[in-house]
Amino acid sequence: MLDALLVAGQTTSEGVISIVRADEARTARALQRLLDLALAWEVPGGIRALTGVADAMRGMPAGISGLRPSSPEPASPEEVTARLAGLSPAAMALLRHVDAHGGEGTTGSARRTVSPDQAATPAEELISRRLLVPREGHTVVLPGEVGLALRGGRTTTEPVDQVPELATSSRDAALVARTAAGAAFDVVRRVELLLDHWGVQPPSVLRSGGLAVRDLKAVARELHVDEEGAALIVEVALASGLIAEGAEPDGTPAWLPTDEFDVWSGRSTSERWARLVDGWLASSRVPSLVGSRDAAGKSWNALAPELSSGLAPEARRLALRVLAELPEGEVLAAGTGIASVVQRIGWLRPRRPTVFSDLVTAALGEAAVLGVSGAGGLPPSGRLVAADDLPGAAAAIDPHLPRPVEQVLLQADLTAVAPGPLETEVARRLHLLADVESRGGATVYRFSSGSLRRGFDAGWSALEVRDFLTSVSQTPVPQPLEFLVDDVARTFGSVRVGHAEAFLRADDEAALAALVHDPRARTLGLRLLAPTVAIATSPLDVLLPRLRELGAAPVVEAADGTVRVSRPDLRRARTRRGRRPAGAVEARQAAQVQAVATAIRAGDRAESSRPSSAEATTPSGALAALRDAIETGSTVVIGYVDNHGANGERVVDPRRLDGGRLSAFDHRADDVREFAVHRITGVRQA
Amino acid sequence: MNDGPLIVQSDKTLLLEVDHPAAPEARKAIAPFAELERSPEHIHTYRLTPLGLWNARAAGHDAEQVVDALLTWSRYAVPHALLVDVAETMGRYGRLRLEKHPVHGLVLSSLDRPVLEEVLRAKKIAGMVGARLDDDTVAVHPSERGNLKQALLKLGWPAEDFAGYVDGEAHDIDLAEDGWTLRPYQRAAAQSFWDGGSGVVVLPCGAGKTLVGAAAMAHAQATTLILVTNTVSARQWKDELVARTSLTADEIGEYSGAVKEVRPVTIATYQVLTTRRKGIYPHLELLDARDWGLIVYDEVHLLPAPIFRMTADLQARRRLGLTATLVREDGREGEVFSLIGPKRYDAPWKDIEAQGYIAPADCVEVRVTLPDGERLAYATSDPDTRYRLASCTHAKIDVVRRLVRQHASQPTLVIGQYIDQLDEIAEMLDAPVIKGETPVKERQRLFAAFRSGEIGLLVVSKVANFSIDLPSAEVAIQVSGSFGSRQEEAQRLGRLLRPKTEGRSAHFYTIVSRDTVDADFAQNRQRFLAEQGYAYRIIDAGDLTPDPS
Repeated sequence: MLDALLVAGQTTSEGVISIVRADEARTARALQRLLDLALAWEVPGGIRALTGVADAMRGMPAGISGLRPSSPEPASPEEVTARLAGLSPAAMALLRHVDAHGGEGTTGSARRTVSPDQAATPAEELISRRLLVPREGHTVVLPGEVGLALRGGRTTTEPVDQVPELATSSRDAALVARTAAGAAFDVVRRVELLLDHWGVQPPSVLRSGGLAVRDLKAVARELHVDEEGAALIVEVALASGLIAEGAEPDGTPAWLPTDEFDVWSGRSTSERWARLVDGWLASSRVPSLVGSRDAAGKSWNALAPELSSGLAPEARRLALRVLAELPEGEVLAAGTGIASVVQRIGWLRPRRPTVFSDLVTAALGEAAVLGVSGAGGLPPSGRLVAADDLPGAAAAIDPHLPRPVEQVLLQADLTAVAPGPLETEVARRLHLLADVESRGGATVYRFSSGSLRRGFDAGWSALEVRDFLTSVSQTPVPQPLEFLVDDVARTFGSVRVGHAEAFLRADDEAALAALVHDPRARTLGLRLLAPTVAIATSPLDVLLPRLRELGAAPVVEAADGTVRVSRPDLRRARTRRGRRPAGAVEARQAAQVQAVATAIRAGDRAESSRPSSAEATTPSGALAALRDAIETGSTVVIGYVDNHGANGERVVDPRRLDGGRLSAFDHRADDVREFAVHRITGVRQA
Repeated sequence: MNDGPLIVQSDKTLLLEVDHPAAPEARKAIAPFAELERSPEHIHTYRLTPLGLWNARAAGHDAEQVVDALLTWSRYAVPHALLVDVAETMGRYGRLRLEKHPVHGLVLSSLDRPVLEEVLRAKKIAGMVGARLDDDTVAVHPSERGNLKQALLKLGWPAEDFAGYVDGEAHDIDLAEDGWTLRPYQRAAAQSFWDGGSGVVVLPCGAGKTLVGAAAMAHAQATTLILVTNTVSARQWKDELVARTSLTADEIGEYSGAVKEVRPVTIATYQVLTTRRKGIYPHLELLDARDWGLIVYDEVHLLPAPIFRMTADLQARRRLGLTATLVREDGREGEVFSLIGPKRYDAPWKDIEAQGYIAPADCVEVRVTLPDGERLAYATSDPDTRYRLASCTHAKIDVVRRLVRQHASQPTLVIGQYIDQLDEIAEMLDAPVIKGETPVKERQRLFAAFRSGEIGLLVVSKVANFSIDLPSAEVAIQVSGSFGSRQEEAQRLGRLLRPKTEGRSAHFYTIVSRDTVDADFAQNRQRFLAEQGYAYRIIDAGDLTPDPS
């Protein structure tokens, strides 16, 4: 209606009613409503749309009709019809094409100002007859009056006041309720399973914020669903606030169950379901896009932050509302039902972007998976969801959900079958003692020595295990299972590992026992492992002397079991150099004379071949040599007695000399150092 | 929520609560398409497999029936994906048909053109088919009938075989029901096989599979080739056929390592057929030696691979497979399905036992503790020899002696894997021993003596596992097995499951060494027993009746 008004521009009410292809009375009512809403305005010449409306609607896709507003001074319908009649078939085809594709086109090379008889191409023909109006750039638009004429004087070729029918078939209401409840139970179970799993092995958060495809595949495998289903489950968990980005101990970001999850898992199945549905309804997330590709060809990851649309909640509510209109016992037809809902919603909300219909289709699929709808219809619980009464919906679905069971059936093939959802506490304990073999409405557990050992590791005793099994079993515990428990209990801990600093072995049991029980040995941390073996928490070097003090005579055993004899080290002083017997000295000197003479001669030769720079050894000579060096800036070698009395040589560049101290650059220390002059034993040129 | 006895799991297992009042009805409804995986005391587990669903399709059930049965008996809502999957899988069977064309002979035709296009594009199929006759039909070389069916099954589009069978050379065979009659299930099994054309009949050991074979021969009225596992079994077939049918000993030939006779009814062993000399199978011509009208495969779950290949060439003849279990340790169930045929009849052990045709069995595991010396030897031994060490402990011999004494008046079998151990036991018990090297004549003499009650105690190696009918055995003591083979356990138990006089129950003892691999393997085998519904007890060797000496 509003669309027609915009197309017509300022007109009379009769004028606008006449161009809407619909029942006249209804159209008039719609017009009145527009006037009431002040979206249309009565002006002296008739009525027109409020000035802002056209602007507000611009930018959105063209309205229902796809027509542009008429030109400011439109030709009369008769004239337009006459102009259309004079067109060549090619130009007519072009015009219809433009009309069908949004009323806008580009002219390309067509000239813009031509008279009808000069027109060479269909485009020029149309422009010349003002059936297409040139606009800025190369675009041309189809004015509203031409469009109207093309469509036989109306804005649409199809009537617009007929509500699209829904394709339905009849289905037993009880079946609808059961199917929905089954799906509801499944989704709750899967979310719980997923989050239990993620609580232990969380998947990491991608840098872009989503969940890796590999992790999604793992979820699908774990939950026995396809990837689409897995994406929906993780998205619903996110929408319900049950998962959030957290960090693993090492700091990598990961998807973790929230503390809210713990509260959630403590509630009844129906309440948990209501929470999930609530999250889903209000969420702007679009799980259906996961796996599809964006404009750049990159595929969407589940949980990616961009994966949301403000239209999603509306699409869900509308879809549910349409479903709620179906009478009980009627459901959507198998093949065509969903398409008909999309059509109906397209009629109800004509001005939504095209993706809206995809969202509606997705919403219907999601509703079925979540158990809001079942077999294409809404059960009473689903109707309450559509009416936003979630507590009521939970109460309505509750009787249809499997009752939680507290007991399992234990069987001789070492399996336990829980014929329904187990009480959380029982399930957790059973989970510890047995491995899950099959899941679904029932759960099959298998006991194995490995799984029972896990229980023992967690601190259970054989008696506790047996008591627990007796208490959860509806039937007597099968004998093979009892044997298995005993077998595991028997071997459990048969090898023990511990930490000790030292061990004590003794063949004399009494002596060892006496030692361990000696009050004076208490600090050693002795413990008897066997009559002949004890361990100590004290290290060997503490243990040995203490044991001796206590009167024992311990022997140290090496790692390979050999005895290591250890006696106290005998202490000795270094022999002083004293006079040696004269004969010995003479004999040695005699042996060395030859060598010494050779060395001296060699030294003399070396001396004669070098410019002499005698070492200054007297204090005054040393000082003179140092001053000399300061003036020439040369490097000298000084003999120096350090703080410890050790005599050494340093290579230095003397800088300053006063107060009995030499300040010089020490080459070895690579820094300026102070030297006490009285400790310098000699100076020579380097 | 529906109060049904069935729980359908999303991993395609079906749990049936046995004590539920509607359980028998539900069982009847799901038995045609779901395979019983295990049947312990409270909850039986069935599994939906493609083969099982196709078996059901072959038996004339459609997807709607399957879905309906699941929905009717399920306690909780059935996962939607599973229903879709069932419908899809079942829809795959029969889209392709092997037919006889009046002009072109054997053809593969399709009701669904894209499927035909898809399979024709598969490389494997291309070599097996001939010219395209029209859009929906393609010629098939008659020699590829079996291979094609096998390949199509692998592609997931099993073909239904409507090409019919050759009648074979006619030969009069009638059942001689004097003083005995076929049991109802035997009659039903034979009828069901005949109606289906070819296929497998699954009956527990001791349920009289031989007679099902005889009944099928009476239906066929044609020359028959019977393939059995070994010579002793062949002789038993012969004796049974002479006793129960109009056939005389002259009409029945034996084709084995020792004798090579080809008569209207010929019984051949797998071994002789698969003997290979210089890369060829010299005895294969037996298959073409006569115009056989029926081929019977005994113990089809043991069918060796070369026989499969030969069977692929025999698709124009009726084939009957007899077995106690479709489970093959090598996982070649699909080949049995495509080459021999779908399952035509199945009856769970417990049902037949309940009808009184096989004796109930009391299964007991006796645990012995290895003496310290052997334990040390075990602990320090090579992993390869551990099982042998653990199974052959001397502690077991003492237990055997005590058990034999306990059942002194009952015919007893001692069964084992290791010849040394068996020899030792035989010597200690002063009983005859049958092992691989025992000549067939001697074996038969001993078995006959055992059957007649002349000998009350027999020590046998694994040669006795298959098809040796010892109906009088009441006690079996298993001292060692071959690494926990489930199929072997079924056979050994089968030795005992023949109906007993005075309704006495049979005893099946397994002696295992505690805390060794022997016990691990035993657990595997017992799991199979428990899954078959035989509750077993565990007792300690020390709790046995003490040795009076």
